[in-house]
Amino acid sequence: MSLGRKVLSVWLLGGLLGGCGQDGQLTEAKKNVVMVEVTSQTWDYRLPWNPGTVSSARGAGFVISGKRILTNAHVISGARYITVQREADPRKYPAKVKFVAHDCDLAMVEVEDKEFFKGTTALSLGDIPQLESVVSVYGFPIGGDRLSVTRGVVSRIDYNAYTHSGRESHLAIQIDAAINPGNSGGPVIQADKVVGVAFQGFRGDVAQNVGYMIPTPVIRRFLQDVKDGTYDHYVDIAIRWMTLENPAMRKYLGRPNDGLGVVVTDIFSEGSSDGILQKGDVLLSIDGHPIESDGSVRLQGQPVQLEEIVERKFAGDPVALEVWRKHKLEKATLKLRPAEMFSMYEVLYEPPPRYVLYGGLVFQPLTTNLMGVLAGSADLRLRQTYSLFGQDQIYRETPEPVILASVLPDPLNVYLRGLAGQVVREINGTRIRTLADVEPALREGGERTVIRFEGDQRPAVLKKAEVDQAMPRIMAQYGISDASRTEVIGRRLAKGSYSRTETK
Amino acid sequence: MTAFLRLLLWLSLGVGLGAQAATSTDLRGSLVRVRTSIQPFDQFRPWQKKSPFGLSGTGVVLPEGRVLVTASLVANRTEVGLEKPGSAEKCSAELEAIDYEANLALLKPTDPEFLKGFAGVGLGPHLKAGDTAEVWQLERNGEMLRNQAEILSAGVGRYPSDEAGFLVYGVRVSLPKRDDSYTLPLMRNGMLSGMMMAYDRDSQEGTAIPVPMIEHFLKDSADGKYAGFPTLGVSWSTLRDPNLREEVKAPLTGGILLTRVNPIGTAGRAGLKEGDVLLSVDGFKLDEDGNYRDSLYGPTSIGNLVRTRPHVGSSAKFKISRNGNEMELTGVYDRRARDEVAVPTLQFDVAPRYLILGGLVFQELTGTYLQEWGDKWSERAPQRLVQLFSFQQEMKLDPKKKIVFLSQVLPSSMTAGYQHLSGLVLTRCNGQAVGSLEDLASIADAVSAGDLVFEFMDDPGKLVLDASEVKSSGDQLGKSYGIPALRKL
Repeated sequence: MSLGRKVLSVWLLGGLLGGCGQDGQLTEAKKNVVMVEVTSQTWDYRLPWNPGTVSSARGAGFVISGKRILTNAHVISGARYITVQREADPRKYPAKVKFVAHDCDLAMVEVEDKEFFKGTTALSLGDIPQLESVVSVYGFPIGGDRLSVTRGVVSRIDYNAYTHSGRESHLAIQIDAAINPGNSGGPVIQADKVVGVAFQGFRGDVAQNVGYMIPTPVIRRFLQDVKDGTYDHYVDIAIRWMTLENPAMRKYLGRPNDGLGVVVTDIFSEGSSDGILQKGDVLLSIDGHPIESDGSVRLQGQPVQLEEIVERKFAGDPVALEVWRKHKLEKATLKLRPAEMFSMYEVLYEPPPRYVLYGGLVFQPLTTNLMGVLAGSADLRLRQTYSLFGQDQIYRETPEPVILASVLPDPLNVYLRGLAGQVVREINGTRIRTLADVEPALREGGERTVIRFEGDQRPAVLKKAEVDQAMPRIMAQYGISDASRTEVIGRRLAKGSYSRTETK
Repeated sequence: MTAFLRLLLWLSLGVGLGAQAATSTDLRGSLVRVRTSIQPFDQFRPWQKKSPFGLSGTGVVLPEGRVLVTASLVANRTEVGLEKPGSAEKCSAELEAIDYEANLALLKPTDPEFLKGFAGVGLGPHLKAGDTAEVWQLERNGEMLRNQAEILSAGVGRYPSDEAGFLVYGVRVSLPKRDDSYTLPLMRNGMLSGMMMAYDRDSQEGTAIPVPMIEHFLKDSADGKYAGFPTLGVSWSTLRDPNLREEVKAPLTGGILLTRVNPIGTAGRAGLKEGDVLLSVDGFKLDEDGNYRDSLYGPTSIGNLVRTRPHVGSSAKFKISRNGNEMELTGVYDRRARDEVAVPTLQFDVAPRYLILGGLVFQELTGTYLQEWGDKWSERAPQRLVQLFSFQQEMKLDPKKKIVFLSQVLPSSMTAGYQHLSGLVLTRCNGQAVGSLEDLASIADAVSAGDLVFEFMDDPGKLVLDASEVKSSGDQLGKSYGIPALRKL
């Protein structure tokens, strides 16, 4: 649920250099490690109608059972052309993305040409390695073109931000092996088994010898999830809780000083716990695992955060809770679902940016990507709408705030340019709650279209006839072929809980 | 405070290049050196002050034996001293009037004889763009340095402590680096025409508080009851856009669109409403950009018309167009829209108030507290506090109720599990609404045993302390953190 730490960066190598040595002993791994070369396109949220910029990069992957290749989502995100190549075979084989999970930075790639798999044996997945045990990292990092192997020890096993998604945190394993851009997607091996996928680290100026790999529980969950032919998002319990260490607080809630339980402090509407948990509930156990007052549970003897129980489950799975509510013990079962209300904080990769163009006014839904390009210039209201969207449950009223992202200069809108960056409240009297509301609202009203914004901004007023006349001119001038793109692809928005029958 | 420090740098970093200086002795009876010790309050540790520093400027002696300086020279002072140029004669001074918005302060020497023999200077004529003037500086030996200056502009601009604006002179002048330059007078023909408040040595341009502001300040302070500059209490937008004019049924030309009207402000109490087109004020017609035609300055922003020209208590006359119907409304200028707010803007000379209960540190929200987060305070400070400060009008916060918030937690056995919390707005304590630190103190003081339940606007919503523990361990807590008093109300 937390936003990604910006100092963590994903390891993708953008350039190519020459020569490197090799290790002859670890043949099982060597047979199955593949170099993944990707040409990708990144959407430009400033010019949402453009196809975006093209760039090439290199990462790693590895063959698992069923002639499947695993790599990182960030290696193949936005891919337009992918080739894979094995150490033993100089040929480059075209490949396609079969499944991608941006929330846990994993992807599965497939190669049509069965020739590619000749000589591969498929790596199998191991368990979580012990602290201090030695692991080997395979990949194609900066410094050469051929396979590189480095070794390190397992330094830490903990929850960590997965920076690729921008908001997710899952279990991650920290290792001290020297791993660098180009290692991304490569296997981390111990006793001939994959114990992780190398995926992110700190920039050299922040920390040294700190690399992270995606552990096998996360990989197994991904493989399980895609069995039905599609990847669904992670599910979320969608609450906030606080540790219950304070004696006065424990006494107030009627709990003995037994070091158990955490207190629920917030429940996100539309989430898994909505209507089931209440503020002030003390969670005592989750699926039979007692919850310590610091929020940890024991899983195979190891202390992990209570979310780890939910982490390994899927949409529709139940979670059994023991709840201390109003000085009485109760049992509650919730059915897990994805937390769409937090999708605002996800970085979007595949779907093209959505927009509506009207008389040079470019309306875009508020997204993390849009905030990224507006970052420096965003005014306080826009920044607050973004940062308080989840906390204040703004999504209940406005599942997808619409922003006047920019104004393309034209004689028609000469007085409206100063309004760029404002949050749209209503158009022609209709409250705007998602981008889908914009086009129908623009068709309403009289001869003038009136767009009102949040706060004490002046409205934008345009004459409909003048807009109709200007649109072909503006689109030709700025090279825009479609006046709008509003379809939501590969993503679910919060439903919102406003009254649907309200009159305008 | 950062704005003031910048001013200090600007004014003291001037280099001695190309100054067209002239020296003279006969004008010495008009200036004194003003030395101040400044010690700002520490908003993050409200029980202590920050490290002290000194400022020195040049004050203007007025005929009544008072000394005029900028307010930033004396903000958060612990001491103010006057020193005669050319001699070591010193005298402490006290404050007679101060206006942080207008950045002006009036000092009175504690020894009434100190300024005997000083002729003092009178106020000069209002200057306009293109006029020439002089900026006076004092040499170390007491000689006068007169630097030729040119008025580049006279229009409404920003003042260091105010988001809105007042009339400002843009001044081009080449100032050599001298001591006592934090405040400098802008003179013309031996008369005071302004007070320099900022100077950038790279562009050799600065800004000065113009004489109409000084006149307003002196007139207001003459009766000993300082009222301050009035304000309309509105937000407005230009009305150049013909489509917008049509939509709001504005007449053919002129006028501005009121986008928010504070009901307790001058305009609000005169009956002006959001959506009105304001056509003229006190007989001065406004154009589409909000300018009136000033007889001296030409087109000038409404800010000067409604803030500097009238005094608090003057009558106000508005002509508006509401839904295409023109009407006249009258009112009285005041500054309630600025003074009666839930979250005050900048505060100087006022120790931050606080109340520590069992390690929970509660403060009242002010703009000064938020500014303590630095230049990017609106990004770095807790977003709820930023919101309550910046959008207090549209959120319709009750101006009589202050925002009490948990600013930090002093770790102790009482606050175990709470240490990481900060920036939380308190709404209730033991079920009773909290609208000030006094409210909180009286609720907490009345409970000697049992729970103290604090309810907050945001996650985690509720915190609990044991009232008897809070009472019994207070002294110990203060001692271990070196906090002299657990409350300042």
